[in-house]
Amino acid sequence: MTRVSDLGTHWEVTDPARLATMIRLRALRMVAPHGFGYLGQALSSAEQLAALFTVMRPGLDRLVCSPSHYVIGFFAAAAELGILSEDDAETYGQDGSPIEAIGTERSPVMDYTCGSLGQGLSAAAGFALADRLKGKDRRTFAFISDGELEEGQIWEAAMFAGHHRLNRLTVLLDANNSQVDGPVDTITTIEPIAAKWQAFGWTAQDIDGHDVDAVIKALAGAAEGDQPYVLINRTSTRHGLDCLPADADGHFIKLPPELAAAAEAELTGRLERRDG
Amino acid sequence: MAELNQPPYPTVLKPYGQSLVALAKERDDVLCLTGDLSKQCEIDLFADAYPERFIHAGMAEANMMGVAGALARDGFVPYVHTFGTFATRRPLDQVINAIAFPNLKVRIMGFMPGVSSPGGPSHQAIDDVALMRAVPNMTVVDVADAVEGRQVASAIVDVDGPVYVRLKRGEIPVIFGADHRLRLDRAQPLTPPGGDVALLASGMMVAPALAAARLLGSHGVDVSVVNVPVIKPLDAATVIAAATAAKVVVTAENHTVVGGLGSAVAEVVAEAGLGRPLRRVGLRDTFAEGARTGPYLFGAYGLSTQALADAAWTALGRRDRVPVATVAAAEEGEYSPV
Repeated sequence: MTRVSDLGTHWEVTDPARLATMIRLRALRMVAPHGFGYLGQALSSAEQLAALFTVMRPGLDRLVCSPSHYVIGFFAAAAELGILSEDDAETYGQDGSPIEAIGTERSPVMDYTCGSLGQGLSAAAGFALADRLKGKDRRTFAFISDGELEEGQIWEAAMFAGHHRLNRLTVLLDANNSQVDGPVDTITTIEPIAAKWQAFGWTAQDIDGHDVDAVIKALAGAAEGDQPYVLINRTSTRHGLDCLPADADGHFIKLPPELAAAAEAELTGRLERRDG
Repeated sequence: MAELNQPPYPTVLKPYGQSLVALAKERDDVLCLTGDLSKQCEIDLFADAYPERFIHAGMAEANMMGVAGALARDGFVPYVHTFGTFATRRPLDQVINAIAFPNLKVRIMGFMPGVSSPGGPSHQAIDDVALMRAVPNMTVVDVADAVEGRQVASAIVDVDGPVYVRLKRGEIPVIFGADHRLRLDRAQPLTPPGGDVALLASGMMVAPALAAARLLGSHGVDVSVVNVPVIKPLDAATVIAAATAAKVVVTAENHTVVGGLGSAVAEVVAEAGLGRPLRRVGLRDTFAEGARTGPYLFGAYGLSTQALADAAWTALGRRDRVPVATVAAAEEGEYSPV
């Protein structure tokens, strides 16, 4: 199975906004057979992933997914773009399948992922450093989550990348204010996020993470400065699926058959109307 | 002999979490720390009952261990909660330097042991017993059921040093009768002494060990099952007595066979010069994988009743067919080992 940076890997994104909706729909179909799962992660990251696959150069740039509970969205995007087979995507989370619900070393699509939180940025910094040492024209994109900012290793990596001015490293930070025990801000104060990264030698920008065009624009220009770049995407784990109850647990959404059917109808209807 | 329920076992929810609240009512020095995962570690109950003694450390395990060590220095007894992997691997240096070397009364509660988690290698604590057993001053406990789960918080509260406890997450089977007492100083024979096989098991492997003993017993093989909840310090006297009375020794752990119960028993049996053939049942020095269900992984990685029967059979040198294990059918809310 393929990783995005493998030589010869190819895909093309023609309509990023539509891709975001298709990521949501496919993730829904991957979770529905289980009755629960990491759907909220796909909902909050759908536009970021659509933008990422729009900007990344196939077969060259590298991709890190630090919080492995999010791999569902990466797998969904990869299945829509022909990087992962639909048959493989359908085995998501099943006994004996390599398409594991919490991504691991053997997961396809990403160049690196780790189910133990807060470790991915170090790997991304290592990739960016290796490319610099080898003189390669390559970018590394790292996806991280706001909850992960509670782990100390994130800040070790941030300091390292800032010190070494790893300007080919671009971070998408999904700020959905969700972790297992509840809203991040009720557990640990992580704000001001942008100012922290800036103090560590990064260029930081804070945007609406569901505005796919804004995310694309930011990512495209992110490697032009002389510092690593972090894009702080303000998002919601319920975005783009109006039928979810207001109290749905963003980390692990319960999806009984009736709700799954309503979600399927909502998303397919949106695609048919061609408005998302 | 011990009073035992028969599979499928009834299950209960949050026996540990309820007992920690009860302990906190008696002991105002008890604190509850969490690294996220509070419901999963049954301590949402504590947060409701004693919010002023509930400390949310966020997903920051290294810091949490350092804070817990200092709280213990000031006379508190912190119970620190997260999944077993995140309690042992990530903050190992802090556990050693901030807690174990100064021999502080920090209680590290690691949920979701071994392959009971379908969440893949990052979430499967298959090496936590080995890691914690290697740390001087550390007591290492792996409880078998809800009766022990309900007793462990109070059993360890006054241990003079750090303690690591493995606890199953979710529906907890009730294997033992109400009169069962978890003892930190004694391993417990659960069946009459068996002349053929001494089967030493801890934690979630006690249930399949009992099932394997019944299976083998019905085929004329006498098996004595010993519950070993405390892997360190190991009750060497009981282990040696069971091994001496049997022809072969089999250990069973929901953990890698490197460094856990099997290793601890091997050391004791070898040092005593008993010369008994030994088979260690556990993960064969391999990482597991993500899956849909834990029971699938118990089967796939050789942690089943059948795997125990196979190990005993080959240790005895039997060449005839191994008896075939059947799983007791479990309804919703019941538990049967695979």
